[in-house]
Amino acid sequence: MTAPLSPEPVLRVRNLATGYGDLRVVWDVSLDVRPGELTVLLGRNGAGKTSTLRAVAGLNKASAGSVELAGADVTRTPAHRRVRQGLAYVQEGKRVFHRQTVEQNLVVGGYTRGMSRSALRAEAEGIYEIFPVLGDKRNVLAGDMSGGQQQMLAIGQALMAAPKVLLLDEPSGGLAPVIVGQVMEQVARLREHGIGVLLVEQALEASIRVADHIVVLDMGRVLVSVRKDDLDDIATLREAYFGRRAGHEPLRSSPDDR
Amino acid sequence: MTIIWGGLALGAVYALVAVGYNIVFISSKTFNFAQAQLMMVGTFVAHTGLVTLRLPVALVVLMATAAVMAVAAVEERLAIRPVGDPEAVLVTTLGAAVLLNGLTQLVWGGQPLTVPFFGGDQVLELLGGRVYPVEIALVVVAVALVVLFTWFSRRFVTGLALLAMAEDREAAMLRGIDVRRLAFWTFAASGALAGLLGVFVGPKTFAVATLGASLALKGFVVVAIGGFGSMPGTLVGGLVVGLVEALAARHLGSEYASISVFAVLIAILLVRPSGLFVRTRERAV
Amino acid sequence: MALWRRLRALPTWILPVALGAVLLMLPVLGLDFSASRQIQLACILALLVSGLNLSLGYAGELALGQAAMYAAGAYTAGMLSAAGHTDIAVQLAASGLVVLAVGLLTGVAGLRLGSWSLAMTSFFLVLLVPDVLAVFAGRTGGRNGLSGILGPTLFGRPLDPTGFYLVIGVVLVAWFAVMRNIVVSRHGVALRVLKQSPVLASSMGISAFRMKLLAYALGAIPAGLAGALFANLDLYVSPEAFGFTLATTVLAASILGGTTSVYGALAGAAVMQFGPSQSSRFQEFALVFTGVFLIVGGVLVRGGLADLARKAVTRLDRAAGLTPQPASGTEGTADIPPIKGATLAVEDVSKAFGGNRALDGVNFRAAPGRVTALIGPNGSGKTTLLNMVCGFYRTDSGRILLDGERLEGATPHRVARAGVARTFQTPSIPDGVTVLEAVAAGRYSTDRASVLSAVLRLPGFRRVRRADREEAERMLALVGMGHLRGERASALPLGMRRLLEVARSLIAAPGVLLLDEAASGLDEDEVDRLAELIRRIRAAGGTVVLVEHNFRLVLDLADDIVVLAHGQVIAQGPPAEIETNPRVLGEYLGAAQEVA
Repeated sequence: MTAPLSPEPVLRVRNLATGYGDLRVVWDVSLDVRPGELTVLLGRNGAGKTSTLRAVAGLNKASAGSVELAGADVTRTPAHRRVRQGLAYVQEGKRVFHRQTVEQNLVVGGYTRGMSRSALRAEAEGIYEIFPVLGDKRNVLAGDMSGGQQQMLAIGQALMAAPKVLLLDEPSGGLAPVIVGQVMEQVARLREHGIGVLLVEQALEASIRVADHIVVLDMGRVLVSVRKDDLDDIATLREAYFGRRAGHEPLRSSPDDR
Repeated sequence: MTIIWGGLALGAVYALVAVGYNIVFISSKTFNFAQAQLMMVGTFVAHTGLVTLRLPVALVVLMATAAVMAVAAVEERLAIRPVGDPEAVLVTTLGAAVLLNGLTQLVWGGQPLTVPFFGGDQVLELLGGRVYPVEIALVVVAVALVVLFTWFSRRFVTGLALLAMAEDREAAMLRGIDVRRLAFWTFAASGALAGLLGVFVGPKTFAVATLGASLALKGFVVVAIGGFGSMPGTLVGGLVVGLVEALAARHLGSEYASISVFAVLIAILLVRPSGLFVRTRERAV
Repeated sequence: MALWRRLRALPTWILPVALGAVLLMLPVLGLDFSASRQIQLACILALLVSGLNLSLGYAGELALGQAAMYAAGAYTAGMLSAAGHTDIAVQLAASGLVVLAVGLLTGVAGLRLGSWSLAMTSFFLVLLVPDVLAVFAGRTGGRNGLSGILGPTLFGRPLDPTGFYLVIGVVLVAWFAVMRNIVVSRHGVALRVLKQSPVLASSMGISAFRMKLLAYALGAIPAGLAGALFANLDLYVSPEAFGFTLATTVLAASILGGTTSVYGALAGAAVMQFGPSQSSRFQEFALVFTGVFLIVGGVLVRGGLADLARKAVTRLDRAAGLTPQPASGTEGTADIPPIKGATLAVEDVSKAFGGNRALDGVNFRAAPGRVTALIGPNGSGKTTLLNMVCGFYRTDSGRILLDGERLEGATPHRVARAGVARTFQTPSIPDGVTVLEAVAAGRYSTDRASVLSAVLRLPGFRRVRRADREEAERMLALVGMGHLRGERASALPLGMRRLLEVARSLIAAPGVLLLDEAASGLDEDEVDRLAELIRRIRAAGGTVVLVEHNFRLVLDLADDIVVLAHGQVIAQGPPAEIETNPRVLGEYLGAAQEVA
């Protein structure tokens, strides 16, 4: 199954189920993320993408299944410890700390590394190299920056923890198309640092372009899981997107005849 | 002017309680009703150390700090951590407050006990008013504390983590911050602070078991005026409450002191429910 | 077990009535002075606690100012007596009215505040009691207390200690009868709805503020009565009796007995009176006990003694085989009677939060006998629009019309009364009520019966109650849940709770039914059932607006689809048109162009 050149997955999710209270949103999700590769998680609204990420990060309890991080089972590990073990999660909606400056945000991002503030400020220089605009605005309050800059800051903050795996939830959400391209480009380049990226997107086209592996969710289950090299026809994906449930008859005749 | 000095010192005491409320509020979004009682325990320990045992001041300060920190740590474990919703926390911390009231009465009795101020009790003439050294010390300590806290929270990684936690608990967790542990230590620190302050507050208020309830409520008014979580707000709130109370007592009669403060509270709550120094959020989602 | 079965066959009000009778009989059986005094003090405390239960337990308001109400009642009675009006009945009536007025007055100001603010403000009120009394020292005796209270009389005849004991007993029994009647009536259910969520209450046409005020002001009455009785017990009142200690004792007794219970107040008051107060010579022990009760009560015993009792009864019932077996539930084919749907028209509605345009000139129309679906990606403005229709947000511009009547600017409970019913993304079901009661609560604003008629069980109330039950039964049959009528509503599985919400919305015969993500989290059978139900509502003439993620369900059910993106309607039309619209595919489904 595994391509010969691919290294061992740094994140391995198996048969994950999760939800909110007794509202189960994710029923059965399995996926891998390998170092230096980008896995994109697709699916319509409500398919369970964000819930999957939350459970992987430890914000929601997994009611079944397992999460393995760099070979260690972290299914029961609290969220903040998973960060220490190399997992960073950038949530949807650019959740940076608005009342702190760019630099303070980055310093907090390195909290788990046990360094002094001045050492962390030196570390932040590396982030400024990746996102030069942050370097120019290091003393600006995060709340006063544009949406695209906040998104870059959120990613930069996550990188400060020197993660092995980065979970990204809709980094393009609410951004102008031009900015989306820039952000996606930066996301794609994170692979050069050997980081494994798990990207959730609704924008099919833009995300598939940068992906190494594609997973499509529907109704909390994996509908399609395929390496991009093996994906010969995008139409399969589109069909998956439009209403067929794996193993079930659609509620209504499929719209193929249109 | 003597009235003003008295009012400022009183306001400083309330502001110190409010600082404690705010530290806890910032770190764990809960309201510790027993904050004033913690400070009260500090005044009793100070009395025992300074009057009964005649220990050196530095040792008493350490003693009060450590003792109240331990009490606060126990309170956090028993009355706050196991409780889920914030309204129940109000009930359990109120229980802690009543319990501390009862225990201090058992140990120290119901009579007011003196706490001598290490800076002496020589009345000073200042700007045309008479003022005790401890009153000046209280104002200085209150201002210094707010400045210190602001500096700490900007200067240290832990301070930044604390502010991050105050702004967005979940996002802080995702930056690797152990929010429960940090909340616990912050709570213990607020207790340590209350104990330390007992040494300063005691000389002004005496060590007495009825101190808690009134301090708790006035401290709350300070926070209501300044806004939950705003440190500079506590200074302004303390100033307002202290002066209103002192002036009302002087010009209207002592029975109007608390009534006037209450009137200020109602006015503030109806006009600006989130306080003067906290911006209201427009979006209600 | 046979004995238990026989006991359970008796009506539930027998036990309290028997207890009341025993209480009144005690003096006849011989009771020494100190025991009698303890019992009378316990009764007075129970009145205070019961009032707190109504506002804290049932309405969920942290209003802790009972001690201040108590003081108001005591001083009213005391001053009347000192002025020569010694008739206890007159004093009780006067005290009750005075505290009702005080309750309404402080409630109007205080209930707008959030939980902590309300708690602290009401505690502050307690702290002010001595000061207020000192201000009026001429009449109240100030800090020295009010002396010169004359012995109580009743209808012109002086009351001896036994007579006074009986008065206390009768007042206690009468109040608990009132309390019980309120709690088991539709008003009690409405209070629990409010406690569950003010948003839910207003979506059901219940004015959250009026309901809170009602509970708070009614809860003041027993405190006033208790005050009047207390003034006549010792013929002396002083500010010390109404301090912080009393306030915390009342709260502790309430939590100990169970805040959400009627008779828990008696148990809590008894424990606090006979427990800590036995050591009343050591006031400090009482404080320690109170503190411990508050902490333990808040942490461990969620429902207090009342909850323990309920659990014991349930266990005994089960052991005695009294638990009704759920009947097989294959009903659900009951016909829906014709529904008079209304036309909902949203015209040019815009809304901005700060600089962020959430809705921009939105237009759509939902007609009777049709299912109109509202779809769009996250953040497209669906939820904002829904909240706007329901009155939770104000429109910046544009109009929202229901059969030509303007809805924009109306408060949520007025919108609900105008005929807009909704369900919630996460079902919102009040705790501690049965399925039948939860559904019947949907009729609260359509068919009215005053609190007074509920207390006195007037024919008007009985008629409404019968109608509530019949209608609720019918709605439950409709959604196929008749066999669950006696279950605890909040304990049902998610799918059932969603159907219950639909039933609760339908019972008000709404002009428009808004379903917010009704299918999320349901399994396929449940989705099919829900779809079937929606089809039947449509067939009966109802207007249904469906906000939904499940695209297949929408294609399958909807007659009209409205697609929102970035706060604007980007497409509108029948399913066949929408699913081929390139803009919809691009914006909503994110698959506009081929990757090739």
